[in-house]
Amino acid sequence: MSSLDPRIRRAEPDLWRFSTRPLEPLEHWQTYEVFTLRTRGGHAQHVGSLHAPNDEMALILAKEQYARRSPCVALWVVPTAAILWTRPEEEDIFQPATDKSYREPQGYLHTRERIEKYRDRLKPANP
Amino acid sequence: MYGNLTIRPEDIENWGKKVHEEDPQKIAEFEARIDRGEKIEPQDWMPFEYRRQLIRLIEQHAHSEIIGALPEGTWITRAPNFRRKLALMAKVQDEVGHAQLLYSAAETLGKSREEMINDLLSGKSKYSNIFNYPAKTWADTAVIAWLVDAGAIINQTTNSKGSYGPYVRALERICWEESFHLKYGYDSVVYLATGTPRQRAMLQDALNRWWKPLMHFFGPPDSQSVHTEKLVRWKVKLATNDEMRQQFLDMYVPKIWELGLSIPDPNLRKNPETGRWEYSDPDWDEFWQVINGNGPCNKERLAVRRFAEEKGRWVRDALRSPEAKYVTPLA
Amino acid sequence: MIEALEILLLSLADDDLLIGHREAEWIGLGPILEEDIAFASIAQDETGHAQAYYQLLTDLGLPTPDEYAFKRSASQFRSAHLVELPNFDYDYAMALVRHFFHDAAEQVRLEALRQSSYEPLAGLAERLLREEKYHWMHAHTWIRRLGRSTEEAHFRLRSAIDQLFPYAWMVFEELPMETEMVEAGWLPPSSELRQRWLEKVMPILESLNLAPTFPSEDVLLPMRGGRHGLRSPYFDELYAEMTEVSSADPDAEW
Repeated sequence: MSSLDPRIRRAEPDLWRFSTRPLEPLEHWQTYEVFTLRTRGGHAQHVGSLHAPNDEMALILAKEQYARRSPCVALWVVPTAAILWTRPEEEDIFQPATDKSYREPQGYLHTRERIEKYRDRLKPANP
Repeated sequence: MYGNLTIRPEDIENWGKKVHEEDPQKIAEFEARIDRGEKIEPQDWMPFEYRRQLIRLIEQHAHSEIIGALPEGTWITRAPNFRRKLALMAKVQDEVGHAQLLYSAAETLGKSREEMINDLLSGKSKYSNIFNYPAKTWADTAVIAWLVDAGAIINQTTNSKGSYGPYVRALERICWEESFHLKYGYDSVVYLATGTPRQRAMLQDALNRWWKPLMHFFGPPDSQSVHTEKLVRWKVKLATNDEMRQQFLDMYVPKIWELGLSIPDPNLRKNPETGRWEYSDPDWDEFWQVINGNGPCNKERLAVRRFAEEKGRWVRDALRSPEAKYVTPLA
Repeated sequence: MIEALEILLLSLADDDLLIGHREAEWIGLGPILEEDIAFASIAQDETGHAQAYYQLLTDLGLPTPDEYAFKRSASQFRSAHLVELPNFDYDYAMALVRHFFHDAAEQVRLEALRQSSYEPLAGLAERLLREEKYHWMHAHTWIRRLGRSTEEAHFRLRSAIDQLFPYAWMVFEELPMETEMVEAGWLPPSSELRQRWLEKVMPILESLNLAPTFPSEDVLLPMRGGRHGLRSPYFDELYAEMTEVSSADPDAEW
């Protein structure tokens, strides 16, 4: 049966010629991680990964896959292999074990109370 | 601190393990995390079966996008005006983009894109049955863009509440883009439905042909489906096939009727007592026939993918860097 | 002068319409997903540029972009034959080389049109150059990278360049009424634009050992006449396909 798609019909002499020759590892190239800056002044955000053969082409290919539909003023790519991360088992290193309120604004909520107490103390006793 | 590894040694050791053979404490922690509504990330420990099922699910989804570009692509050179021509190009491009996002999400689980494509081309891995049907007229593209994408949105919105971080993130963007497809599809359908008699006839004919595949879209009825309790618990599967099918009928049958179109099923009605849609048996034998490779377009779809991979081979080979090493994408 | 203006704008628009159409044939069939997406964007941009050029004519009370694109006879087209050629056997080298030649030409023309005395066109050129910047980046990066890669890639590029260079040369065929256009300050003469185009593409091709020889009159002969309404042998099939739906029911809105 001939294809309904004229594009495919034009390929037809060739279309059935290919048997399944498996792709080789890395035939679709190495991966990069892509970051976009949506507006000036913002933080770059990780938006996904990309297959590209080299750094220069990673930028060119990332542009259309990651910045064609959403706002973007700058694009970063990094080879995935260059990224380091903490292990999930190490997640607890981010959890403080002791009271760290001394470095939080909420750690300093009682100054007004102290002033009030002081003023109470200064007031002369009721005549 | 760790750099990027393909699959960690302990993952390979666990390869092939059944759930009951795995460390119960790790399973308990894993399930507790899911119960708390937290996401699982690629670097986390996960049961073998969770990894395997997710790869299968995401991979099939990715294949469906790249194969799904073909039925609509059938009309890409024949779109009837600038607006439709541009929109169809953008829509099919989005499907290719979705495949890219989904293959990346599946890759984070340790299967390379090349392996996934090999499994597609050899027939080992499946894709959505609906793309094995031909797009015979322009009206088919309108029906696909409206109703197949509507089905896809229901399915994907459901899946986007899942537990696996990279898949959920990909789906967020995909659902957002699909909402343009749906609007474009509905707009195209409305133009045909409110157009000339010939346009209406073309549309009705397309709907008649696509109704059965649409009923098949969410998979076999729950009564025939494999037991998936674990996958529900792990938030891999979030709604049953029948639930999604009911949702689809609820949302779209009234819209189809509003346009004065008929649906080729005399038994289709909403039971006022149960609140559920009733319909004729949509021929599940055909569904299985198509899954097993005997649909009208299975052979062509795979031949086209094989052709595209072969034609692109010299391009990819030319730029391959000899120093490249495989690492799984990050997230 | 409206006749000359129509000739100029149709030449620009028809080139973009048809190359956009041919490039769109690759959607879903590209060599790798990422490039499939990038090339699909370029096809969309080209199609959008065509629409914008036609619109300048519509603004003067002439037909709409859809009428220009979908309801003309072959002899009313003014495209260069380069953009009418099919994607023969889906050789990506042919697609990239055509894209490289076309977008270099497009950039040269747009740069010149920024100074056009016809203000609506000058304004449009300024806008379109934004998208052309990416097209050119995409085109020359691919050509440079492939040109320095494998023997097979080099061979395929050479063969595509040899086939397409004479067609690309004829993109700068003298336009009908060109003298009037140049005198009105709309744009420089085609021969001058061709020179600028050569300065853009030749150094890159030379650096890759891929520079073609300049075509002889004999070679160019069958490629002539695009700007004068003479179509290549490939046009009719392309146009029948492009208008298959729109012409099936001429009263319909789609």
